[in-house]
Amino acid sequence: MMLRQTAALFVDAYRELNSRKLFWITLVLSGLVVASFAAVGIDKQGLTILWFRLDFIPLNSDILPPSLLYKTMFLNLGLGIWLTWIAAILALITTAGMIPDLIAGGSVEMMLSKPISRVRLFLTKYAAGLLFVTLQVGVFSVASFGVIGIRGGEWEPALLLAIPLVVAFFSFLFCVCVLLGLLTRSTIASLLLTLLFWFFIFLLNATDAALVQWRSMAEAQRDALVRQVAQAEDNTRQLLITERRSLGEELPEDYHATEEEIAGVNPFLKGLRDKRDSAEKTATQAAKWSGIIFAAKTVVPKTGETVALLERTLVSMAELDALMSGQDKPKRTTVNEQTAEVSVSEYDVSIRATEILRDRSVAWILGTSFAFEAVVLALSCFIFARRDF
Amino acid sequence: MTTAPTAELATAATRSDGLVIDLHHVAKTYRGRIRALCGIDMQVRRSEVFGLLGPNGAGKSTLVKILMTVIRPTECRGTMLGEPIGHKPTLARVGYLPEHHRFPPYLTGAQVVDFYGALAGAPRAHMRRRTGELLELVGMKDWARKKVGSYSKGMRQRVGIAQALVNSPDVVLLDEPTDGVDPVGRRDIREIVQRLRSEGRTVFINSHLLSELEMVCDRVAILVQGRVVQQGTIDELTADKRRYEIELAAEPEAAATYFQRALPEAIRHGEHAVLPPPAGEEGATAAPPTHSPMARRVGYHGQLATGEWLEIDHATLRIGSTEPATIQPIIDALRERGAVIRSIRQHRPSLEDLFMQAVTDPNTGETLKPGADRARKERGR
Repeated sequence: MMLRQTAALFVDAYRELNSRKLFWITLVLSGLVVASFAAVGIDKQGLTILWFRLDFIPLNSDILPPSLLYKTMFLNLGLGIWLTWIAAILALITTAGMIPDLIAGGSVEMMLSKPISRVRLFLTKYAAGLLFVTLQVGVFSVASFGVIGIRGGEWEPALLLAIPLVVAFFSFLFCVCVLLGLLTRSTIASLLLTLLFWFFIFLLNATDAALVQWRSMAEAQRDALVRQVAQAEDNTRQLLITERRSLGEELPEDYHATEEEIAGVNPFLKGLRDKRDSAEKTATQAAKWSGIIFAAKTVVPKTGETVALLERTLVSMAELDALMSGQDKPKRTTVNEQTAEVSVSEYDVSIRATEILRDRSVAWILGTSFAFEAVVLALSCFIFARRDF
Repeated sequence: MTTAPTAELATAATRSDGLVIDLHHVAKTYRGRIRALCGIDMQVRRSEVFGLLGPNGAGKSTLVKILMTVIRPTECRGTMLGEPIGHKPTLARVGYLPEHHRFPPYLTGAQVVDFYGALAGAPRAHMRRRTGELLELVGMKDWARKKVGSYSKGMRQRVGIAQALVNSPDVVLLDEPTDGVDPVGRRDIREIVQRLRSEGRTVFINSHLLSELEMVCDRVAILVQGRVVQQGTIDELTADKRRYEIELAAEPEAAATYFQRALPEAIRHGEHAVLPPPAGEEGATAAPPTHSPMARRVGYHGQLATGEWLEIDHATLRIGSTEPATIQPIIDALRERGAVIRSIRQHRPSLEDLFMQAVTDPNTGETLKPGADRARKERGR
């Protein structure tokens, strides 16, 4: 009986989706996005869209292998913009009414008067609510898998990980939407408040990204300065010894020049050291603030990072490295010894930032997000099970 | 500590023998002050059609929702089909049509019956045949493949009844089943209810359409402000109010003289009483007797030698009996004295009379205001 009831609820959820135009519009748009991927091509001469050659974009298959081009397009456009942004909003619009409709007078009596416990009814409806996103991301990922296989020449099954990851991402928002739907009984209120919650997470993520960038830059500067100071000290020391020996002074093998001696010889060293100290302070400060935001993010669902897990799987650090090395830009942050001016390498900073973000464990990203979802769902179940309708 | 509840359960089980619904002290208080139900005791027997009636806000739907686990009672001792109220698996044997129900508009009539059948745990094997049969029973076979969103209210009600029967329930609770249904539909629903009874199923109908209930119910309960004020068969509830009425074709004064001559003993020992004004003359005030013991607007209470009460109201004589033999000598006596009888009829109070009596405050004569028992609770604080 249990299985039959669950199946009936899922079939009902599918029928509801089927009756909604937005579901089919989203599916058609998904198809168009995949088709637009397939229309893009890359060869030794450069990029093409259908039969038009895009000469103004300085890219070819030597810099960017076809498989990487399609993967990047899938990750940045397909996943980053379409699935986790536009399609997610369309999904929320479609499914936000689920709980308010369920608890509406006349409808809730029909459901609660059946031999199915309230908690099971609620959780089954919740799972059925994820059907929209599952179907959308499923169709999209399978089609993309085909396009990357045929056009990019690489059959990448890991791409299908997008299905559970995007469903998990959506469920983090959907659980909030469901709780708000239960509390407000209104589709529009729950939808707007969920979007507000999403915006809050987005702000937190943007702050986090900015702080990670700041921290990476501060650390790149600090490391470059520490390196430069050490090198300058070393050079000066060597210079000092060579000079004094050349003047006939007897110096023991393990002679160490004092700070004053070094400073007397190299007038730029003080400026460098001051800059290093201040860079160290800045780096510590950046690490502290970044840590605070990191702690704050622990209690909210990690929507962005959950989806970014796919990028970790699909594009390895080495591939990313290779992609970035193809660009004609400095790879190391350097310091002008005389002016103590630091020229920050974008490459250095971005590799550091990527490493910081990739160092965040899957357990932290998914574990804390699912914990959030579990708490919100438990609260919703509690309210649903105890309310009189 | 443990023996008391066990003993209570055993007693409850014994009490429940033959009872499909056996409620004791069902109470529901909202937000600690609005008392929707104030201790309901109600028994519904197997294979009977039970009608629950009451004014708006009396708590009828609340009571049905408590039975169907939609509302959690504040206090409830009782069973349905032998299981405690709130026992979910029992609901697989119960059919329910809520008032103002709303079906998903994207489903067809057949899909509605299928869907709720599946949720009610009806076996898949016989569902397809059963769905067809039920839709035919409620006259919706031709509409089975049309979306519910395009149905009229009466059609939705018919499909609602079909879904309530899909799991072949032992007891069916219908909350305002004829709401929005045309006269043909009402007759159909009545026939379905009678058929369910003949199949040995119990039907619990919640309605304020008294004439509908009167036609199908074996027993009724009247709920007023969260309390059961009357409960029993219609015959039981009207037993002391059934009577014969003999109307003379004469002016009240002349009629009074005929009655006095025909029944000298009874009228001599009787008492004058002020009767309410006859129908159609609302607002007319009762005047005390002046020149005649049986003047206009003045009633007369007395007793026959055989014990039945009698009452004179204008040109009508009422006798508290349903036995034809009782009134024969009275008719003879009146006829012998030359009285012309306009009509003789046996009067049985309707459900509406019972209902109106139940919702009328005996002290003020005013009907009670609709709604839950808010004031009483506040007074009790």
